[in-house]
Amino acid sequence: MATLDIVLLSGLVLASAFAVLAKDLIKAAVALAVSSLLLGIVFFRMNAPFAGVFEISVVAGLITVLFILTIALTRTEGEVRESKTVLRVFPVFFVLFIAIDALVMKGLTAKIATLPAAAESGTFGDVLWKQRTFDLIGQLAVILSGVFAVLALFRKRDKDE
Amino acid sequence: MNSHWLVYLFFAAGLVGIGLYALLTMRNLIKLFIGIEVIGKGVSLILLSTGFAKGHILLAQSLVVTYIVIEVCLVATALALIINVTRHTKSLDVRKLTQLKG
Repeated sequence: MATLDIVLLSGLVLASAFAVLAKDLIKAAVALAVSSLLLGIVFFRMNAPFAGVFEISVVAGLITVLFILTIALTRTEGEVRESKTVLRVFPVFFVLFIAIDALVMKGLTAKIATLPAAAESGTFGDVLWKQRTFDLIGQLAVILSGVFAVLALFRKRDKDE
Repeated sequence: MNSHWLVYLFFAAGLVGIGLYALLTMRNLIKLFIGIEVIGKGVSLILLSTGFAKGHILLAQSLVVTYIVIEVCLVATALALIINVTRHTKSLDVRKLTQLKG
């Protein structure tokens, strides 16, 4: 594991923290896009180019556009005041959480047996289309249900109602 | 390989922690949804790093691709719901939704 991976992962966590804490919603959406860009680069470095491409193009691209569109459509409704303690408590929470996290991971190092590694054969297409044939139908159903849900939510009222 | 896996797990747990904090403390509906997205990033990092450590990167990759597709549907539906709720309550504040309590 190279230092670059650690830097990328730290940047990912920091960008996500900024996305959660930023006051301006547009800045938060852009920080979320930056964090998924970093996650996509981490995926590329793990030899997972397809997941990386999907992460960068769909999550960093499409979802950011949807977020910014929603922010623009709801902007006129006025700002929501977050409580001030949220920002003050966050560093304490974050440091405590990271410390506990590090302790747990250190404790696990000795206890978890080494994962049995087995070589995988074939290509990504083989695995996606031949090993996982049936649940792709479920995936298609989910996409269709998403489309119908959006259609139902923005349905126009009929004239005779 | 095992220690590398734990490093990835450490950062993924950090992401899930940040998302949970946002879900527990924020009032803005869009901020709450950003928290859910951050948790989702942590989960996909766990999935892919476990596949990487076990040598099953292709299967993990196909699961992550499926997850991303489902995430897009979730985002589209949830943001449409947020827009409708905002038009109804004239605010992005989640506390205004208490009138839905039965």
